[in-house]
Amino acid sequence: MDELLRRVAAVDPARVAVVTHDGTRTYGQLADDALRVAAALTERGIRRFAIAEVEAAAVLPLLAGASLAGAEACQYPPDAPDDLRSLVERFDHDVLVTDRDDLAGLAPQVLGTGALLGGASDPSVVVDPTPTDDVRPHLVLTTGTTGAPRGVRHDWNRLVRGTARVRPAPDERWLLAFGLHQFAGLQVLLHVAAAGSVLVAPAPRRPVEGLEAMRALGVTHASATPTYWRFLVAQLRSDGGPVPALRQVTLGGEAIPGPLLGELRATFPDAAVSQVYAASEFGSTGSMRDGRPGLSIDVLDRGDDADVDMRIVDGELWIRSRTGMLGYHGEPPIEADGWRATGDRVEIEGDRVLFRGRTSEIINVGGVKVHPLPIEERVAAVDGVVMARVYGRPNAMTGAIVALEVVAAPGTDEAELKTALKAACADLVPASRPRSITFVDEIVTTGSKILRREL
Amino acid sequence: MSTAPADVQKTVTDFLTSIEKLPEGFGTDTPLYADGAELDSLETAELSATLEDVHGSDPYSIGEMPQTLGEILAFYAGA
Repeated sequence: MDELLRRVAAVDPARVAVVTHDGTRTYGQLADDALRVAAALTERGIRRFAIAEVEAAAVLPLLAGASLAGAEACQYPPDAPDDLRSLVERFDHDVLVTDRDDLAGLAPQVLGTGALLGGASDPSVVVDPTPTDDVRPHLVLTTGTTGAPRGVRHDWNRLVRGTARVRPAPDERWLLAFGLHQFAGLQVLLHVAAAGSVLVAPAPRRPVEGLEAMRALGVTHASATPTYWRFLVAQLRSDGGPVPALRQVTLGGEAIPGPLLGELRATFPDAAVSQVYAASEFGSTGSMRDGRPGLSIDVLDRGDDADVDMRIVDGELWIRSRTGMLGYHGEPPIEADGWRATGDRVEIEGDRVLFRGRTSEIINVGGVKVHPLPIEERVAAVDGVVMARVYGRPNAMTGAIVALEVVAAPGTDEAELKTALKAACADLVPASRPRSITFVDEIVTTGSKILRREL
Repeated sequence: MSTAPADVQKTVTDFLTSIEKLPEGFGTDTPLYADGAELDSLETAELSATLEDVHGSDPYSIGEMPQTLGEILAFYAGA
């Protein structure tokens, strides 16, 4: 990570790297910050630490400094103290770096960011910024949508390797719509640093702030989940303000409904629309730029020489990646370059690999396996539907039934909409038809993803 | 909504109407399944969810299998 910042700083130290509503930081400043953080970590003998900060301008040098010093950093989500306390205990963090007053005493050692950004007290403690082949660890927490969060162990060398094909693009201004505690946020950061682009980092990072940052801070490129984009487009229509002049719209993090791609192309006519397929465990697999749903079948069976290869096993996508994780915290190491199940159900249709939902989201209705995503896509196309969520609702008769939550457009007659929703699903097999339809004010998300299980 | 017999009966009648399975002369003794409303397992599951949504509980969720509207009404009367 540090080497990416330093590469840009070497040729153009004054180039802006991060923009927030509060100010900017240049590549030169971040590279110097990282050196000081690395020296401070080395002097204090810190080999592992957690970060509880949201400001990208503060987090970036902490991550880069850790990568330089070979210390394992772990960015926490912006959660309440009790939730973070459980993370401290679960992931054995003795050192917590934060400027939050409400986290005092949360870990055996709590340091302000200034304690590291200020560098070592002994000026003779310096860190050689020359990259090495040694493992430089980084810990990413999963969102915990299917249970307690897990710590995914990465190596900066492998992560940086994934940016080898990124071309220089100093004029691009990328929105940070993900938190840096999320792997997707880390991917955006790595891409920006590898391209020498600008990271625009609003806080908080909800769609409303993202839209504001697009307009006020000149965002040209943005990567977010489909759910985030749906909210942002809804917000755009609601406030009637100018449409941001985006050149790139990227989606990832969850399965992408086909109609959303068309909606985004219509909303941002000058933008290229692409999809990335990535996960905390196997890293990024590249992007699809043709604007069509799913992946090209060319991604399958690329052979042993490819950095990333995919295959389909019993309807589930498997991946082998040389930029993926080393294993999970507290668990035995895995074969890092081996094949892994992704948990994504897929089908081949023509020349595409189409996503049908997560294996964990499959609804078992009386022994019939139902994928929620195709139903959600069908429902989302009905007039009057702003957002929809399909999930399995426990039922004594059939084990589960397909349940549907809908956010209706203002002024919509709910009884009429319910009839239209049933009609839209009438030709589905009986087990796939929604048997419970509820109108709600909002769809609950976590990490900007829809939860397709009962809450 | 309350669990008064008239309210529960309306919920069941509305449900059967919505799926076009309201038998002529439907009453408290009309069978809900074969030789009556002819609900299949998925429709029965939907009736269970509907009753729970509207009245807060339902007989199916506690393992009962009412055969008629009368037995559904009896469940709420005894609840």
